[in-house]
Amino acid sequence: MKFKRQLFGFMDMLRFKKLVPNRREALAGGSPSPLPKSYRVNDLAKRLHPGEMAVELTGIRPLTAGMTELTFRRLDGDAFPFFRAGQYVSLRGQVGESLVSRPYSIASSPREALENKLVLGVEDAGFFSGYLGREARAGDRFAMTEPSGEFHYETLRDKKRIACIAGGAGITPFLSMAKSMAEGDEDYEMTLFYGARTEDRIAFKAELDALAEKGLRVVYVLSDEEKTGYEHGFVSARLLEKYVDIRDVTFFLCGPKAMYDFVLKELAPYGLPVKAVRKDATFCGDLPLENPRTFRLTAHIRDRVYTVEARENETLLTALERSGIPAPNKCRAGGCGYCHSRWIRGEYRIAEGRDGRREADRKFGWIHPCVTYPLGDMEIDVPPAE
Amino acid sequence: MEQHTAKAYDVVVIGAGNGGLTAAIRVLQGGYSCLLLEKHNLPGGFATSFKRGRFEFEASLHELNDFGSPEEPGDIRTLFRDLGVEDKIDWIRIPEAYHLITTDKTYDCEMPFGVDAFINKMEQYVPGSRKSMTDFFDLCNEVRDAQTYSNSVNGNTDSAYMKAHFPNFIKAGSYSVNEVLESLRMPQAARDILNAYWCYLGVDCDRMSFLHYGSMVIRYITRDAWMPRLRSHEISMAMDQRIRELGGDIWYHSEAEKILVDGNGAITGVRLADGTVIPTRHVIANCSPHLVFGKLLEEKAVTEQMVRATNARTFAGRGFSLFLGLNKSAEELGIKSHNYFIYDTADSVKQYDLMRKVETNHVQATVCLNNAYPGCSPEGTCMMYFTTMFMSDDWGNVGETDYFKAKDRVADDMITVFERETGCQIREAIEEIAVASPTTYARYCGHPQGVIYGYETAEWDSLMPRMMMMAEDARLFPGLRFAGGWAMRSSGYSSAYVSGDLSGRQTVGDLKREAK
Repeated sequence: MKFKRQLFGFMDMLRFKKLVPNRREALAGGSPSPLPKSYRVNDLAKRLHPGEMAVELTGIRPLTAGMTELTFRRLDGDAFPFFRAGQYVSLRGQVGESLVSRPYSIASSPREALENKLVLGVEDAGFFSGYLGREARAGDRFAMTEPSGEFHYETLRDKKRIACIAGGAGITPFLSMAKSMAEGDEDYEMTLFYGARTEDRIAFKAELDALAEKGLRVVYVLSDEEKTGYEHGFVSARLLEKYVDIRDVTFFLCGPKAMYDFVLKELAPYGLPVKAVRKDATFCGDLPLENPRTFRLTAHIRDRVYTVEARENETLLTALERSGIPAPNKCRAGGCGYCHSRWIRGEYRIAEGRDGRREADRKFGWIHPCVTYPLGDMEIDVPPAE
Repeated sequence: MEQHTAKAYDVVVIGAGNGGLTAAIRVLQGGYSCLLLEKHNLPGGFATSFKRGRFEFEASLHELNDFGSPEEPGDIRTLFRDLGVEDKIDWIRIPEAYHLITTDKTYDCEMPFGVDAFINKMEQYVPGSRKSMTDFFDLCNEVRDAQTYSNSVNGNTDSAYMKAHFPNFIKAGSYSVNEVLESLRMPQAARDILNAYWCYLGVDCDRMSFLHYGSMVIRYITRDAWMPRLRSHEISMAMDQRIRELGGDIWYHSEAEKILVDGNGAITGVRLADGTVIPTRHVIANCSPHLVFGKLLEEKAVTEQMVRATNARTFAGRGFSLFLGLNKSAEELGIKSHNYFIYDTADSVKQYDLMRKVETNHVQATVCLNNAYPGCSPEGTCMMYFTTMFMSDDWGNVGETDYFKAKDRVADDMITVFERETGCQIREAIEEIAVASPTTYARYCGHPQGVIYGYETAEWDSLMPRMMMMAEDARLFPGLRFAGGWAMRSSGYSSAYVSGDLSGRQTVGDLKREAK
């Protein structure tokens, strides 16, 4: 073929010759005004995803015998970011020589975040939560990750009606979800089943009753006590049937493992699709081992090398933190991938059902230290914490 | 971590995207030390994956063009072979070229790979198109040969040689896609169908250089497209591993904050946000010149020429993607194609204009990965991803409290359009969903305004003059070269790898010259 566009071929060639001079001229003719220092879309990304935040504890309130409400304000910004109700933050502090971080669901609403207020409800159950409940004081400072997680309503996926089932401290994300609905940011219709052993174990009752005036349906379920105004027993299928059409709701579950097991067993006969039941992730703690062995863990962080002791029953992340070495983490449940680290050598095991790694991570030998326990001396390469 | 000075490296690469990873391997293969810095905790930039429930989603790759089979490798497979990563990755072949649908009901066409098959199918859809289509592919072949020659001499082409061997390349070289196809007397309908790939380059066919488009189409059609089995994350992890095998270092969670210079304006190092300084005299930036000259480079080294040359350029498309994990198989849902292009109109100029506004943009390039790789999700499920671009900063008008709803509105429209145009009902089957907006791209990759395609390769800034000015552009700031979607080869996976290859090898050349 012979390509030609203009009458004479050489004119096409001449045009080609001008490509470079044209571009040279255009580049030299650009505006001399300074290049932008910021861009709107990037500014919004920074507001929604500020990364780690410096926060101050501003209020402490006992909720029930075993649960404490902690209120925070952000120090390194005007306000907390807007988030999706149901999400969590990870709080990091120093207890003695150790660094400790734990994920907690947010109890306050996304709108309250914009007023620089973020509330957590912490169950006095472990090392850090015990410390927070007993020793933390207003004015104490902590590091907090940005709100994260996929345990929230999805408008295009979930049913218009949702049934939320809370056990114990699992009430916190649902308080946020109920508030967010009342504030007009979510358009689901929410029925909340809140199970506790006794009435005095019900946290946030005044708040929930007030939200019931604004559209929330709340059903309190006491297992160890019979009282008027409360259902008695467990959140069984029969109880659920009284209030919702099980096949026409999306379930959201947050609570202890025993509660998940019970509710899932109750729902099994209905043959609901996987998408109909969403469960919040739970913290991956120590393994119940008698006489756990102790190994050496060598961790490379950029151009530094740390060697610490790591117990057989604790995750690699916990071992690092126990020695005061900060490592990135958020969910501590194996799923978010934020602690993504390179395995170099040594045997390990991953907590059952918590291997949230990508397929190529497994192929190329990467691990999530938040759910990985040592089975011998190990060497890993960890990214620095923020 | 307290402030300290790290050991010195011959080269520091900023950004572990496709360009940065490739460049780092090239520097190491050249025998020089290299540190790769990445602000995120993963390599790859857009070349990554993420998990939701029982699905692992591909973040961005639709198909890797110019790859070819092991026996007849394309340029990119050859590059991967040279880099030493080809065998670290399991590859799967993409079954068909594309399925074009326009919502004005003008077109619903499925196009195959292979020049003869493509021409025959076109003749079926548009009788009388054979001659012009044959001419088109002849011309494209010459374009590819000319580019191969140009690459072999590192862009320093001999004018007489070019005229003697590639006259059609030169004669067509200054024209747009539409101008050339018109000169080939291609029937309008054939042009419309042929131009379907335009959204992969993000510039309408009145302003897109024919050389750019032609060289891409020929690479897709003649050397089928492939992709890695474990999503593009597999490529990124393979490159990470290769860099370490070659003795290179990679620091994740390590955002470069400043490129440091001495009194003469020569690079002395890179400083991280926590104050750590890495001494070096060579930087390869896998990020935008807007970011480098506007923020990263110490101000005393920023010249008016740099500012003008950067301001002169136009941002390309801002990305938006929807990812769906469906609880039925592609077969049950009736999704037959791997790769759909759904436009309002086949007129790319009109379509480009509609894409300026979030409200009027209904374009989608949609992939059902199971139709290329059935095992990518559990039995009885399938995965889809839908991508579009906004050709202005309209998304910047979205406020913080409307953000989640704004994402849902666009995603909702994508589902509605797909269901309406293909007749496949997918909404009820949604088990997992994720949405990435320009804000998401800005968050993870730091690109201004969430741009995913670098600078527009339109008119004066099209691919050919960029390539011809490669050496001249690099003189803007000695010691600094660019790789990735913002560099000379513009955006897209294959282009980003090639730019990393070029900048990596050229930096090796710089170091060798210095040593003399």
